[in-house]
Amino acid sequence: MSEFWQALAQGVLIGSTYGLLALGMGLVYGVSGIVNFAHGDFISLAMFMSLALFSAFALDPYVSALITIPVMALIGGLVYRYLLRPMAGHQFLMIVQLTLGLSLVIQNGILMVFGGQPARTPSIVESKLIILGDVVLRLPHLIAFVVAFAMAIGLYVMLRSTDFGRSIRAVHQNARAAALMGVDVGRVQVVTFAIGVGILAVAAALLLPGTPITPTQGLQYTVITLLVVVLGGMTNFVSIMLSGLVIGLSEAFGQIYVSDTLGRLVPYAIFVLIMLFRPQGLTWRTS
Amino acid sequence: MLEVEGLVAGYGGTPMLRDVSVRLAAGEIVGLLGANNAGKTTLINCLSGIVQPMAGRIVFDGQDVTRATARERVELGIIQVPEGRLVFPEMSIRENLLLGGFCDRARPHRPAQMEKVLELFPRLKERLTQAAGTLSGGEQQMLAIGRGLMAEARILMLDEPSLGLSPLFVQYIFEIIDKLHKDGLTMLLVEQNLNLTLRHAQRCYVLERGQIAVEGDADIVKNDPRTRQAYLGL
Repeated sequence: MSEFWQALAQGVLIGSTYGLLALGMGLVYGVSGIVNFAHGDFISLAMFMSLALFSAFALDPYVSALITIPVMALIGGLVYRYLLRPMAGHQFLMIVQLTLGLSLVIQNGILMVFGGQPARTPSIVESKLIILGDVVLRLPHLIAFVVAFAMAIGLYVMLRSTDFGRSIRAVHQNARAAALMGVDVGRVQVVTFAIGVGILAVAAALLLPGTPITPTQGLQYTVITLLVVVLGGMTNFVSIMLSGLVIGLSEAFGQIYVSDTLGRLVPYAIFVLIMLFRPQGLTWRTS
Repeated sequence: MLEVEGLVAGYGGTPMLRDVSVRLAAGEIVGLLGANNAGKTTLINCLSGIVQPMAGRIVFDGQDVTRATARERVELGIIQVPEGRLVFPEMSIRENLLLGGFCDRARPHRPAQMEKVLELFPRLKERLTQAAGTLSGGEQQMLAIGRGLMAEARILMLDEPSLGLSPLFVQYIFEIIDKLHKDGLTMLLVEQNLNLTLRHAQRCYVLERGQIAVEGDADIVKNDPRTRQAYLGL
């Protein structure tokens, strides 16, 4: 029974970070219709930036996030403005191709600078454990859970009740009408992309303690994020967070109850099953 | 107040409008008539800055706005209520109205302006938190006009406000238009409904295949045989 609680706790904690990763992607998709296949490589980039800041100044990843978040947001804004926006109106596949190319560029850039060895960015909280009865929780996971949900709630409130948030939703629901209200659609798209990539820097800091990193890990994060976003119906915030939990839980249960290699397939199997019976994903509203 | 001179515009190099000149004086309702595809929507999209003209000039209040962005025109008070309403379906009525007053000029006065709009459309007041997508066509048209008024329009351009509405709602919408006219609002009324427009507008332009075929006071346009001709596409 203790295994069950352990898997449950671990799944929820990891799943919340997956949810956060997916919110970044869903937000961008919502306002510009772009699925960014370099998503995971942006996470890699943020992680290696933290590694560099640790090597140079011995900064803890939680501290260096204060630097990586604005830097990543700026990179995201520039990438959107000068690479992606000129492609607007072209075929969807061309934009996919472009982001895939970007993924390779980032991957190989990291490889050139940091080499191919797996690396770690240590944190002071890394080995701290919290023991609740039979369940052992790693402190970084708990921090990740709290921060991820706080960010998700913050984003939700921002979208609901600020003028900027309403302008993002307006662009998502009808870009032409938004322009007629005086919303600068291009600016909203750039800023949203920057926020989306900035969120990845947050997620990177949350994932780093205790996780080995390699330059080629990006695609793995992209795939897991896509899984969550599609399961969450692409743009619905609440169901994206929920899907993060579903994927996180199936991963944790798979690892504990099924043999190691097969266990990794569990999230994908669950994904396929849900999609077979609910093609619209976990959203309760189709729009 | 608004002067359009020799406007040429279109999509993908093919002009939909050829040498169109239109004037609006302050406080006037001007009707823009024409069959489908005559270029009416292209013209108001040029005025909104969504379509860039290939030639010609747009002057608003003595200021050349031909190259101004869509956002800048909203700041000036040139407001379009688009064809098909285009309300934000997943947002509440209240949020739609707030977005109407999004521009810097209107934002500080939103609470007062919203009160005025809700007074004009009591029906919207009853369901402020309802999602706009669940409203009937007529209610959505009220919301679209209300949203335009939230921007403190100086010129309100209504694109086919009667399209797809029941006769009762059409009558109601035109009563609202008359009311706004009495309050001194300048309006450009784009319509396919010939008789209704001729009754409510002081002056009219009739577009035919991208050119002005007839223009003048509503009575004159009404009796001009070319008006019916332009309509039937003969």
